[in-house]
Amino acid sequence: MPERRRVHPILNGQVALFGTLALAGGIATWWLRGPDVFLDTLLGSGELLVMIIPIVVAAMLIGGYAQSLVPQDRVARWLGAKSGIRGILLAAGAGAITPGGPFASFALVVALARSGADIGACVTYLTAWSVLGLHRLVQWELPLLGPDLAILRLVVSIPLPIIAGIAARALVRWLSPWTPGRDI
Amino acid sequence: MLAAAITVWVITIAIVAYAAKFKPAAHRPALISTLDFIKPMAARLPLAILAAGFLGAILPRDFVALILGQDSGFAGIALATVLGGLLPGGPMVTFPVVISVIQAGAGTAQTIALLTAWSVYAFHRILAFEWPMLGWRFVLFRMLISIALPPIAALLAAIWAGHI
Repeated sequence: MPERRRVHPILNGQVALFGTLALAGGIATWWLRGPDVFLDTLLGSGELLVMIIPIVVAAMLIGGYAQSLVPQDRVARWLGAKSGIRGILLAAGAGAITPGGPFASFALVVALARSGADIGACVTYLTAWSVLGLHRLVQWELPLLGPDLAILRLVVSIPLPIIAGIAARALVRWLSPWTPGRDI
Repeated sequence: MLAAAITVWVITIAIVAYAAKFKPAAHRPALISTLDFIKPMAARLPLAILAAGFLGAILPRDFVALILGQDSGFAGIALATVLGGLLPGGPMVTFPVVISVIQAGAGTAQTIALLTAWSVYAFHRILAFEWPMLGWRFVLFRMLISIALPPIAALLAAIWAGHI
């Protein structure tokens, strides 16, 4: 992304916003659910953070290396605004096979967007990862929902990332002054 | 979680080893852009995860199971879409809710809408990851694009199951 606003890299408005949300959520949790749930949630969030930090750091390293190893024009050719339906299908396939939780896949989207992937490819990738994620199907849906519902859900979800990607590319032209990817 | 950590670190080590062998000049820019990714996350991500955790704790969970009747039709699909987007937390929280919804008699199409909306929106995930990492413009744009997806999946499911 060209022209990124230079504010303090660590402390800015976003930090104040999330800090306020965390504080308000914490007060509301204590108030509505009591101190036990408050403490459980606090510890649970801390535990989650400790578990995901190594994954986020690794994903960011992959993103950093991908950016300096893979030439930008190649990413743009495969996944850029002019990559056509092939780019959408490639992003959908990549999303479906990406394992693991959101921390890794969002970090990869940041890297892809900075390396020349367009918003259509990013939306397709995230949608495919969220609705087609084979990893979640095997781990959760087959055992808990049973094969009938799990497979029905998978089959009806196959067109969704492609619809989302095509819609994103069509819509982003109308929104160009507003540039949805500006913060990436 | 451990499997995910091992997977990403194996990939990372393979890429770093590749760079060390074939393109040593890539290390410096790679580490600079990695730091560039990490810096804005350092304060944002912990706060966002904490906020998402608390908001998940105060949202009513059992309430969802009561609302989606079997013959709720397209209104039920629309409601399931909204509720699915608001379901807090990851699969460990969501699947028990979804199972209780199915046992309470929700239709197949409504259940598909609920699961799909939870998958594409996951309010908790947006707050904890997507917003801090990709920015609110991207979040709003993707939300707008994705509004039709749960109903499309639900209608396809209804056709598949022979209800339409």
